[in-house]
Amino acid sequence: MQKKQHLTVTLTGIAAIGVFVALLCSAPVPAQTEPSAAVFTSDGRLKVPTGFRRWVFVGAPLTPNGLNNGKANFPEYHNVYIQAQNVDAYLKTGEFPEGTVIVKELTRLLNPTFPDGSRFEPSGHGFFNGEFNGIDATVKDSKRFAKTNGWGFFTFGHHPEPYAATAAESPAETCAGCHAANVAKTDMTWVQFYPLLHERTGQLSWDTPQSR
Amino acid sequence: MGIRWTVLIAAAAAIIAVAVSQPGASAGPVFTKDGSLVLPSGFRKWIFMGGPITPNALNNGKAPFPEFHDVYIELENFRYYQKYGKFPEGTVLVKELALTQPGKYPDGSVDSASGRGYFPSALHGIDVMVKDSKRFGNTNDWGFFTFGHHALPYDSTAKLMPAGQCAFCHIAGVAKTDMVWVQYYPLLRAQLQ
Repeated sequence: MQKKQHLTVTLTGIAAIGVFVALLCSAPVPAQTEPSAAVFTSDGRLKVPTGFRRWVFVGAPLTPNGLNNGKANFPEYHNVYIQAQNVDAYLKTGEFPEGTVIVKELTRLLNPTFPDGSRFEPSGHGFFNGEFNGIDATVKDSKRFAKTNGWGFFTFGHHPEPYAATAAESPAETCAGCHAANVAKTDMTWVQFYPLLHERTGQLSWDTPQSR
Repeated sequence: MGIRWTVLIAAAAAIIAVAVSQPGASAGPVFTKDGSLVLPSGFRKWIFMGGPITPNALNNGKAPFPEFHDVYIELENFRYYQKYGKFPEGTVLVKELALTQPGKYPDGSVDSASGRGYFPSALHGIDVMVKDSKRFGNTNDWGFFTFGHHALPYDSTAKLMPAGQCAFCHIAGVAKTDMVWVQYYPLLRAQLQ
């Protein structure tokens, strides 16, 4: 009898662990609970962000080399990603939370046939994504980057993969200066280029468009 | 008896726990009774694959798809493509359009702090394709839908487009890559980080 009870307790314990493990393995969207995607080395360098291609895409300016004397500052597509909880916070408060990371991944243009970098495809005359071509990242940390409106700017190279594993903060005049001059009022971010942020449509469920 | 019941209950609890907390389970496409497609929800949190741009100014003022084409896919369908080179049944691809900022030059481009180019402004419509070999066997297993090319709000449901409107061009251009223009999407040529 005692042995049987002991076995019952053991089996219940194993089952409880099983349930716990099952819950852990299938925990939904860990990004929602991560405090910040910014990881710094001991000497203050930012580690290249990971997993950002699964973040929320907010928009993609395009500055073709062909329209910028052959040498765009950011060649050429700028695909911009932000974690969902930071989009939520921005739409609610008009500013990004501490620890927000914004990643801009560049891609070149696909096989240009015109001087501007465009080509003809069945969908029309225009521009198409070529290969990945580098990463810039900004991190909001009001203590670390107090001198540049609370944001630090980093580049992991403007070239095909692999990118640099870590990056030192870019000098204020290289990146922060331009952001401070133009978009200080919108938390140093060019929200006018990101429809999800500037249209503020369907704020309660921005992941789904309004329909009628 | 105590042991058996304990084991049974624990096993049932474990199964329920897994079922309830299944992450990223695809809802897949939702159809109305008459076969219209319901506007997909939540797709702006899906994986962004790429964004061709066909400016109106480079297309006689009237691009067929004005102007940014931002294309989204669910993570599990992207993973499946990486593994098998084709998309699974029930895959939904969403293309959301956005206009460019007003142009300064004849080609529709404008100067900005980051350079001369094209910059997104207002969202401008949605097209969707759904893989379902039974429903859409006549058009290489994919059905094509449009919820309008205009500002928000979009239509809440859409009827299947005639084959001559969308499918024919995909068949002519990309039948070999499961009806998808994978050549425009760097992610489908690279590894997801």
